[in-house]
Parts: sequence; C-alpha cells; structure tokens
Amino acid sequence: MTPALRLEGLTRSYGSLTAVDHVDLTVARGERHALIGPNGAGKSTLFATVAGTLRATSGRVLLNGRDVTALSESERARRGLLRTYQHSSLFLGCTVLDNVALAVQRVQRVAHRFDRPARGFRRVQARALEHLESVGLAGRAHDTASELSHGERRQLEVAMVLAAEPAVVMFDEPTAGMSAAETERFATLLEGLPRSLTVVIVEHDLDVVFRLADRVTVLHLGAVLASGPPAAIRSDEAVRAAYLGAARTEDLFTGGAR
Amino acid sequence: MKAVETTAPAPAVAARPRRPARRGRAVAAAVTAAALLAAVPLVLGAYPVSMMTRMLAFAVLVLSVDLLTGITGMPTLGQAAYFGVGAYTAALVGVHLTSDGAVQVAAALLAGLAAAAVTGWIAVRAHGIVFLMLTLAIGESVHQLADTWSLVGGGNGLAGMPPVSVLGTALPAAGFVYWWVLAVAAAAFAVVALVARSPYGRTLRGIRDNEARMRALGYRPGPAKFGVFCLAGAVAAVGGALWAAQVRFVSPGDLGFEVAALALLSVVIGGSGTLWGPCLGAALVLLVRDNLSAHVGGHGALVLGAVFVAVVFTMPRGLAGLARRPRRTEARS
Amino acid sequence: MDTYLVTVLNGLAMGSLLFAIALGLSLVFGMMDVLNLAHGAIYLVGAYVAVALTGDGAGPAMFVAAVLAAAAAGAVLGGALAGMTRATPHHLDQALLTLGVALVVAESLTVVFGSDVHSLAAPAPLDGGVQILGQTYPVYRLLVIAFGAILALVVYRLVERSRLGAVIRATVADRAMVSALGIDTGRVLVGVFAAGAALAAVGGVLAGPILGAQPGLDEKVLLLALVVVVVGGLGSVRGALLGAVLIGQVQALGVALLPEYASFLLFAAMAAVLLMRPAGLLPAPTAVRA
Repeated sequence: MTPALRLEGLTRSYGSLTAVDHVDLTVARGERHALIGPNGAGKSTLFATVAGTLRATSGRVLLNGRDVTALSESERARRGLLRTYQHSSLFLGCTVLDNVALAVQRVQRVAHRFDRPARGFRRVQARALEHLESVGLAGRAHDTASELSHGERRQLEVAMVLAAEPAVVMFDEPTAGMSAAETERFATLLEGLPRSLTVVIVEHDLDVVFRLADRVTVLHLGAVLASGPPAAIRSDEAVRAAYLGAARTEDLFTGGAR
Repeated sequence: MKAVETTAPAPAVAARPRRPARRGRAVAAAVTAAALLAAVPLVLGAYPVSMMTRMLAFAVLVLSVDLLTGITGMPTLGQAAYFGVGAYTAALVGVHLTSDGAVQVAAALLAGLAAAAVTGWIAVRAHGIVFLMLTLAIGESVHQLADTWSLVGGGNGLAGMPPVSVLGTALPAAGFVYWWVLAVAAAAFAVVALVARSPYGRTLRGIRDNEARMRALGYRPGPAKFGVFCLAGAVAAVGGALWAAQVRFVSPGDLGFEVAALALLSVVIGGSGTLWGPCLGAALVLLVRDNLSAHVGGHGALVLGAVFVAVVFTMPRGLAGLARRPRRTEARS
Repeated sequence: MDTYLVTVLNGLAMGSLLFAIALGLSLVFGMMDVLNLAHGAIYLVGAYVAVALTGDGAGPAMFVAAVLAAAAAGAVLGGALAGMTRATPHHLDQALLTLGVALVVAESLTVVFGSDVHSLAAPAPLDGGVQILGQTYPVYRLLVIAFGAILALVVYRLVERSRLGAVIRATVADRAMVSALGIDTGRVLVGVFAAGAALAAVGGVLAGPILGAQPGLDEKVLLLALVVVVVGGLGSVRGALLGAVLIGQVQALGVALLPEYASFLLFAAMAAVLLMRPAGLLPAPTAVRA
C-alpha cells in the first residue's frame, strides 16, 4: 500500500546551519507515528518543511504517493496534510466557534458565500459544534478565543485541525501546557480517531508517546537516529549511547529539565 | 487593539442565553434607527437635511473602509479614490446621459468595481502598513489624475449636474433627495452587514486575525482579499454617487488625501470591526469638518488633526469600544 | 534630441530632491515600521521657511540660513514625531498619529502663509543659465543634481561603511536582535527619524526655486516619496537612490510629454515594478524568520 506520508532526503538549511538533514521517513496509512528527540533536534523545522510553511532546500515530500514538494502550504492543506503549532496559532479576535467553523466551511466549500448569514449554514455550525464538543469546549463556543486559557487554546487548536478533515495530521507538542486532565482527554480523543487518519506527533510526554504510538522515530541534530516500534526504541543502545552516556533514556527524551 | 485581557479566565459560562436576546435587540435598534432617520426631513429644515444627506453618503464610504480595515484587517487610505470614481461617474452620467438616480448609482458601482479591480491586485499582495502605503499611493495617483485630466474638468471640477430623478420624477426638494440617499445607503449598509455576517465575512476576519493560519487550513487568502477589495471599491463608489446626487458638483478635493484620512478616522473613532460605530463616526467627523471649521476661520483640518492625535492617545478601540467595555466587565463579575 | 536632454536633466534634479526626501521615509519605515505620513508636511515646512527667509530674492547667505533653519525645524519635528510614535504600540495608530500631525502642520502653514501660490527665485549668483549643447539650462538645477550626488555618496558611506550605519542596517534587518545585543536602538531610531525629517525639510528649501510653495504640495511630495520608497524597496539607501532617479525621470518625462496623465504614468511605473519585484528593486535584506 502507498504510504500516507513519505519523506525522501528532506533537507532544510539556513546558510551553513542544517536544521533538517536528509531525513527519510515513511508513515503508513493509519499509523500513529511519534517523533521524539531533545530540544533543537529539528522537529518543528521538519514539521514546517513537510507542511510547506518552509521551503525544502532539497529532498521530496510525498503525500499518498504524490510529490507535493513544489506545492504551497495552502495546496498541501487542501490535499489533506495539516499541522498544529507548538505555540497555539488561533484567530484570537473571533469566537471559539468561528475558529473551528473556519476549518469546517473550507472543507464544505462555502467559505466564500455571502448570500446569507453564517448561522444559516446549519451543517457548518453543527459540525463545528461537534468538534468543539469532542475537545470539551462546546460550553465556550460563543466566547472570544482570546478569553481562553492556555490549555483551552491547545484544545481548540486540536479541534480546528481535525475540523479541517485531514488525511495526515501533524501535532506539534499538542499536550504542552495542558493540564493532566486535558492531556488525558487529548489522548483519549486521539485513540478514538478513525484509522483512516494518519497521525504524526511530536511529543515530550513519553507516557503519551508510548501509549499512542505504533512507531517512534528519534531525531537528533536534524537527522534520523533511529526508527522502529516503541519497545525497540526504548532499548536501542545507539539511541542511549548517542546522547545519554549513562542516564536513562526517558530523561533525555523529555529534554532533561522537564 | 486587543480585547481587555483578564489574567484569570472566567469559569466556563455554560451556553450563554443572552445571544438570541442580543439579536432581537439589534433588530429593534436597526428598525428604530431607520424610522428616526426617515423622519428627519419632516422635522428639520433644509440645511440640516442636506447636511445629513452628505453624512449618509460619507457613511457609505466609511462602511467600505470598515469592510477593509475593521473586518479584513487591511488599513486603507485609498478608498477616497473609488469614492471619487463613483462621484465623477455619477456626475458624468448626470451631465451627459440621464438624471435617473438609479442609473447613476449603478454606473458608479460598476466603475468603482472596475477601478478597484484594476488597482487592487497590486495592493492586496501587501500586508499591514505596506498595504496602507500602497493604497495611499493609488489614491493620490487617482487624485492627481482627476486634478489634471481635462475630460473631468481638471482642477475646476465637474459642475452642471441636473437634480437627480427617481422613477422618472425629478426630486423637487432636499427632503426627497435625502430619502433617496437614505434608501440607497440603507441598502449598502444591509449588503455590508450581510457580508460581515456570512461565511465570507468569517473568512475575512480569519485573514485579519491570522493570515498564515488561514493558509495552513487550506485557504487562499489572495483571492479572498482581492474580492473584498473590489466589493469595497464598489461600495465606496456608491457613496460617491450619493454624494454627487446631493452636492451636484464634484472636484478633485472630493477624492483627496483629506477625505481618505477622514474616512479612516471615522472608522477608528467609531471602533473598527463594528458597522454602526463607524457610521456614527462618519457623522461626527463630517459635522466637525463642515460646521466647526466655520468657527475657526475655515481651518477645520487643524481641529481634525488634533482630533486624530487625541484619538490615538485616548481611545484606542473607538466609540464601539467605549460602549462594549461596561458590558464586558458586567459579564465578568 | 536637445529638449530630451533638458528633460533628462530635469529628471535628475527631481531625482536628487526625491532622494533627499524619500531617504528618511524609507529608513524610518525600515527601522521601526512607522509610516510617517507627516513627511510631506515636514517638506512643506522647509518650503515655507524658504518663503519666509528668501521670499524677496535674498542672497546666498540668507539661502544658507534658510537651509539651516529648515534643517533645525525638520529635526525638531522629526524628534517629536519619533517620541510620539514610540509611545504608541500599534502600527496603525502610529500612522494615524503622523497623519494627525500632518494635518495640523499643513493647516498651520496655511494659517500663517495663506493659501496663495508662492514661487521662489534661486539665490542671486545662481539664478542664471548655462549653455549645454545649445540649450540654456538653469545653473541652479545643475547644482541640485550635484547636491544629490554628494548626498548619495555621504549617506552611502555613512550607512554602508560606518559603525553607526551597521547598527542602522542591523536594526532594519532584525530590531529585536539588535536590542538583545544590548545596543540602545532608541537613540538611533530617534536620530534617524530626526535626520530624515531634517533632510526632507532641506529638500523643501532646495526645491523652492523649482516647485515653489503652496497648500497641497505636501500631498504631492508625499506621494512621490511613497512611490520612490515602494519602487526602490523599503529600508534601503541604494533602493531609495535608484527609486528616486527612476521616478525623477518618469515624472519629468510625464510632465514633458503627457502632463495630463503624469500621475497615471507614475502609477503605471509603480505597478510595473511591483509586478516584477513585489518587494521593490533593491530591498534591504531582512533576517531569516524560521
């Protein structure tokens, strides 16, 4: 079967600094793939390059077997490749409902209609509310997004990206700043997602990683250090040696200070 | 221009019941406002009525500025150009073709749409202050063109426009012109209000708040921005046609820097993003320019300049912001 | 052919003035994202200073005095604007603020000098003409061209070669980084704002014998300066120079050939450049944003 997402020698450099260094990665359809590595390993740059926010210096990105490297971020999103942001990127002057409805109305192809008020588009409104409910924000639908707490903003970010009906979704540290309860809700939500959806997730919380991931890739200095099932990564000597010295693997992956 | 932030988020207010009530109140307010405005010629004399006619025409221009600046987040100083295109088109139609108001408005609308389409593609590729700069450059180019082009009277302007007629009847008095202008302005308001509340309006607010995120969600902001720019050009041109219907004389001054600046000031005073605020701002600004300037030896611009500076320092969210603030605190407590 | 030469020279003189005027606008925008809409009004202050001091055909001494007085007035206005804009956080508010100042300054000038059109003569020994290829051309305009060339050299050395210039260029590229390095950008910003405004006011004096002084001139000059900055690229000295020379030529050509459509030609030139290069011809390099 064609992999949902395939990276071939993907490289992104800033002058002499290579933030993403010839990354090869294959994510099968329906897979939950975790990307871990210490801060500065190039995870966020990799996401941005895959999503098209940044142009690749070299290499290719294939989405369902089709080369999308030359496409803009917006075109990739239209083909179902979406991402969330490490720092919530919301529409702070709009209501919580509007934030999600923006994603829904694009998918339902009514984003440029102005023949009647938005609340008249019942399917958009209903779908947006469903997505808000799934992250537990339905009660705040009519608040302005800027009134949300940090954790709630992360939830909204998740609802928004899922509302865009992605084929492949990349979560950039989704649980950073969430409370324990919110993290639990997020993990449950992710477990409940249909297997038609492919998930790549950058995560520091190793409990979440080993609970959700089918496969784990370790990124170090912009390059792939190891890739495999969670159990294999846990016990991988190369991973351990490369950056631990003697310490426990978990400490390193959590960025030490966390 | 952010909402008043509180450090502690309010506990999740379960599905707020006040929303439908607010909608009902808004409809009631709109009906009351329309009724009051329609009654004006029955109460006031000819001069105040003609003054208010101009306010309505100017308010339509201000609406178009609000559509761009308040709703889409593209601050503009170029809308006076399309206002002028509309005014000149209506005046030319009036002088050479017909005195029919509807034809004049329709011709102005198309001309404004075309002018915005021809010039807008350059501007919408820019963001924020660069957009402001480009619209100013476009507006001033059109202003200078009107000032030198003999076909439209050059610096002398275009005079000799016959009184506007509606449905074949020449409007005999200031009051009837007022009603005509009020009707068209109300229609323009309704169109802009509908756009603002529609999915397209939501798209535009999304672009205002976070254009990069819109792209990441699969939107193409460029065409959406170009569309609203053309729409705003058409709305401004309708305002210009209404202005010409009342004043019956168009000069390059009507599309100058000062008019563009006043329109932007009206939006800022009125609170960008709402629709009624900028309309009130438009009335206020025109009142100051045309009435107060008589008391300061014709130098109204001096007062307005000072108002600009004062507004920036004292009311960053405008009139609508003042009105909203008490309700916010009430909701919090 | 010979009239064409006159047009080219007129364009160069215009370009010199435009460079002096647009430079401050461009650098201030590049360094602090402030669009100074009062720039045209400051130019007009310079023009009216010239009217006040040299209006009755004064000699070179009074002309120099006018230049110095205009520079001082411009610097004071620029410094005040810098202080006011730094006190307001939002870019739109800053633009509105300068717009308000522009209205106040321009209207005050009308209050003092009336709304008449003032034309000025070049200072006494320079008001003659010289023969160039059989055409008589005003000496004064040649001197304006020379002034523009010297100004370009001085500014280029200052901004591209000196330590102060390095700070200015770095601030254009990445203001936060320069502040993080512990350099006090505030004083540099105020300095550039004041110096740019002083240059614009001096431009007003120098342009006096060519463009005169009248209400509304501030808008025309602001438009030309904006187009220069947009065409040349924001925040760059070389861009401002190239844009000024180009727009000077376009303007002179337009006025000579199609006076009615000169502003249309200006717009067309701007559109053509932006179509090919959306950031202008020679934009300042900005920091890589990840």
